[in-house]
Amino acid sequence: MSLIEQAPTRALIEARGLVKSFRSGTLDIPALREVELDLFPGELTLVAGPSGCGKSTLLAALSGLQRPDAGSVQSLGQALWSLKPEALERFRLLSTGFVFQGFNLFGALSALEQVMLPLSYLKLSPHEVLARARAALDEVGMTPRATLKPAELSGGEKQRVALARALAKRPRLIFADEPTSALDAASGQRVIELLHRAARERGAAVLCVSHDPRLLSHADRLLHMEDGRILDDERRRPLGAPLE
Amino acid sequence: MIALARKTLLHEWRRFLPALLAVALSALLLLVQAALVQGIFGSAAVFVQTSGAQLWAGYPGTRSVDLGRAIPADTELVLRQDPGVRRVEPFRWIDADWRAGSGALSIYVSGIDTQDQALMFRALLNTAQRRLLREPESVIVDRADLDKLGVSVGGAARINGRRVRVVAALDGLRALGAPIVLASLDTAARLQPQEPRYSYYLADLHRPEEAARIQARLAPQAQALGFELWTREAFAQKSVQFWMLETGAGLAVIFLAVVVALVGALITSQTLMAAVAGSRNEYATLNALGVGRAALSRVVLEQAGWIGVGGLLLGALLSALALALARSHAVPVEIHAGISALCALSVLVIALVSGLAALRTLRHSDPASLLR
Repeated sequence: MSLIEQAPTRALIEARGLVKSFRSGTLDIPALREVELDLFPGELTLVAGPSGCGKSTLLAALSGLQRPDAGSVQSLGQALWSLKPEALERFRLLSTGFVFQGFNLFGALSALEQVMLPLSYLKLSPHEVLARARAALDEVGMTPRATLKPAELSGGEKQRVALARALAKRPRLIFADEPTSALDAASGQRVIELLHRAARERGAAVLCVSHDPRLLSHADRLLHMEDGRILDDERRRPLGAPLE
Repeated sequence: MIALARKTLLHEWRRFLPALLAVALSALLLLVQAALVQGIFGSAAVFVQTSGAQLWAGYPGTRSVDLGRAIPADTELVLRQDPGVRRVEPFRWIDADWRAGSGALSIYVSGIDTQDQALMFRALLNTAQRRLLREPESVIVDRADLDKLGVSVGGAARINGRRVRVVAALDGLRALGAPIVLASLDTAARLQPQEPRYSYYLADLHRPEEAARIQARLAPQAQALGFELWTREAFAQKSVQFWMLETGAGLAVIFLAVVVALVGALITSQTLMAAVAGSRNEYATLNALGVGRAALSRVVLEQAGWIGVGGLLLGALLSALALALARSHAVPVEIHAGISALCALSVLVIALVSGLAALRTLRHSDPASLLR
């Protein structure tokens, strides 16, 4: 079965023949078996599947975090895994945003500073850094809490700050790994809506890995993985269709 | 730029406190040790430093003032004949036996000229004290040695079996090894009747800047007669170096300094590693977002730098207190700018090396490990 999308819109990420396995003792445990996948702008793609099915490994290989054993990833026209480590870091700095299950915020920094931190490595003017960070916090509804440190924020608020930190760079690729697992229903709802909006309003390709069933309704496209293979690729909304 | 290093240091000060204290204690130990070494070993040169002479004549190859041996009486003549010499004065150095009450111990007797314009101990003795020494069998000791000698000012004792009286006590005479007892040349001669010759001759020059030239001019005669000439600075340095390098004491001090530096670096690096490990996920997230390893390493090294500077300042403050306390108890301490700077540099190197060691922990913060 071919899983390659036949769509007029050009894919931002094209992955071919991705293979990755992990060694456990003397055993090689395959995590990705010949995975082919294209990700398109303006779409939130949700990868679901049981634990250990390879969905996080897929995210790592597509986002430039972990090198696959075989296969290629064309990302924004660049052969991702041909890049040198520094060039790969640069690529991630300019083009990717990440949201993890753990919020991973620095205890010493206020919400505004958390968002400014990665921006400050982008060679922007201090004024631009501040303006972008404020705008990103505003987008996730955290302006009133901008001066607070992580210890003073709820889990949902922390994840919104982490989201603002990822979005403020204005990346064309956004990766989210179990972004709602640690959140209550309302907070989770809010985070997935914000991710969806980033896809729709900015034309970013959003890849979200989750086994949170509450997210299913938000996905434009749903991939089901098992045993290192994409078993099912379901487009829930036509590519480029307006949001209801 | 967000001052991540500094803000984290302040926010998590409890976490970083052991490193700061380790650096501060290293600084304290190094600085105080250096000041003590300078003070104690510097006292080996107290004879030279407090005298008014620019040239010293002594037994050939003498390595420290306190190792003086008798030299020919004609030495005085040779010195006096040089047109550049204004005044020549003998100095007698005696190993002697001190008895007071039921106690006995080895001492050094310094037999010195007691005239008002005398060179020996010019900076240490005032004219009243010199006048007291002119009384036969009178001696002066260091105030800090009174207990050890078992006498008080005005008390009596025996040196080499001869009765003497302590007429005064002063500060700054304390030296390495045995106590030093000052006596007039006449008194000293009576304490060691079997040796009529002196250990040293001191020369005061018309033009002090000519010391090296006169030393060279007299060298052939000195060699022929059996004495050696040193400038004041050279002889002082020789004496200090002898004690520092050839007695093993200096080696012990250097060994201790290395141990202090190692322990300081060990504690500091462990603390920094724990701090980096505590923020591992945050650093990994920044790296995922494209902030390079080099930039993250700079954050850790900056923290090490702040800990180094902060620890050094705290250590210097504690050292100043410790040294003030030492001074108030007549412990010989001396602060040498160059050596203190070297200690400060060592402390900063300790912090920097610890920072570099902590970078290993940073290498383990892999962004892929953030994925579940």
